Amino acid sequence: MAYPAPLKKLVDVLCRFPGVGPKSAQRLAFFLLRCPREEVVSIARAMVEAKDQLTFCPDCGSLAEKEACIYCNDSERDRLMVCVVQEPRDVLVLEKTGQYRGLYHVLHGALSPLDGVGPDELKLDRLVDRVKESGIQEIIIATNPNVEGDATAGYIAGLLRPLSIRVTRIAFGLPVGGDIEYADELTLSRALDGRREIT
Amino acid sequence: MSQRMFKADGLVLRTRPLGEADRLVTLLTGEEGKFEAVAKGARKMKSKLAAGVDIFSYGHYTFHRGKTWPVITSQDSIEQFTWFRDNPQLYPYGIYMGELVDRLVSGEEPCTSTFNLLLEGWRLLGSCDDSYIICRSFELKLAHLAGYSPHFHSCSACGTAGASKFSPRQGGMLCTHCASADVISIDKGTIAIVERLISAPLSQAHLIRLSAGQKKTLSRLTSAFLAYHLDLGDIKSRTLLKEYNT
Repeated sequence: MAYPAPLKKLVDVLCRFPGVGPKSAQRLAFFLLRCPREEVVSIARAMVEAKDQLTFCPDCGSLAEKEACIYCNDSERDRLMVCVVQEPRDVLVLEKTGQYRGLYHVLHGALSPLDGVGPDELKLDRLVDRVKESGIQEIIIATNPNVEGDATAGYIAGLLRPLSIRVTRIAFGLPVGGDIEYADELTLSRALDGRREIT
Repeated sequence: MSQRMFKADGLVLRTRPLGEADRLVTLLTGEEGKFEAVAKGARKMKSKLAAGVDIFSYGHYTFHRGKTWPVITSQDSIEQFTWFRDNPQLYPYGIYMGELVDRLVSGEEPCTSTFNLLLEGWRLLGSCDDSYIICRSFELKLAHLAGYSPHFHSCSACGTAGASKFSPRQGGMLCTHCASADVISIDKGTIAIVERLISAPLSQAHLIRLSAGQKKTLSRLTSAFLAYHLDLGDIKSRTLLKEYNT
């Protein structure tokens, strides 16, 4: 199909977004063309502002507007507990639960040798430094419940073992609202391992 | 694989995210060879496919031929190799074996022997203490299945008996006259070990005991032999494996 050059450029750019193929990119491009100019400018400005104004907290690696993030700056938080997650977006998901009031540490990935991600590519040195510097008593590892996430959790546990602090892994189990009939054997066996008494 | 629907027992060699919540899974099967398939929605917490399409899964899969890739419509787990999740020391070995096979098997051609070798290798890593020797034996057996085995009985260039240098490039021994700069010195004991690692069942590899010097020679020999003859390119998981072993 022969697109006008600016439209082709726009479709090509939109194709770079994850999960956006040529068809979706074309749909988005026509949406933008139909929008008033001011709205297109505000969308573009929001993208640039997010890119310019957001950074990663030097302490925990979460998204931050200034030097330190809102979690590290919050004096109400339990500073003896740190939850280790793979990606900054995992912090937002955990925050939505409203159950956790400790600090975070974002690894920015998980051990994945096939993708060239080894321990040096993760923010592990900083995690060890934080534990040594600030008297943290518990590390909760909340990496994804897949092979890479589990291997990363095991690696971190080994790394922190000499520091004699409590290292825990978030529980595995059945998703709320699901049917046991459709659960796989691994999830079910881990759910049985992690059973708890009804009080 | 001509029918619209087909079934296969397979091992998951690697996965990568695809789109919003799908996974693109590289599977090794005995009869259909290696191919990629899509597990739709497998990254969602409630997906019934999620656990069965993770790396190190062995399952019975049903596929529907899609436009680009076959789509996994159902899976039944046969084995999960949970030791790779639970033991961070075994994880790089399992990944390494899978990557070697992934690089070696090129496409949808039957590869029952390679499939069985990887299945046995992953199983043995969970039950044997000596992962190092299992891994070396696996490498040599994999090369043997591909048609390459080191030649130890005489000089590969002139045929003289009693050669004591191994040339990865020649794929065999060289005498002192024929030896080039890249040869590896190897004693008779280590040669006997290499021959045993190729000929004996993989399940007996852990019975072999190696000295530190023999380990070093064996590592150099297998690494150089595989690199030269199998042309597998840059094996990424080797870096992590080395890191875990130092």
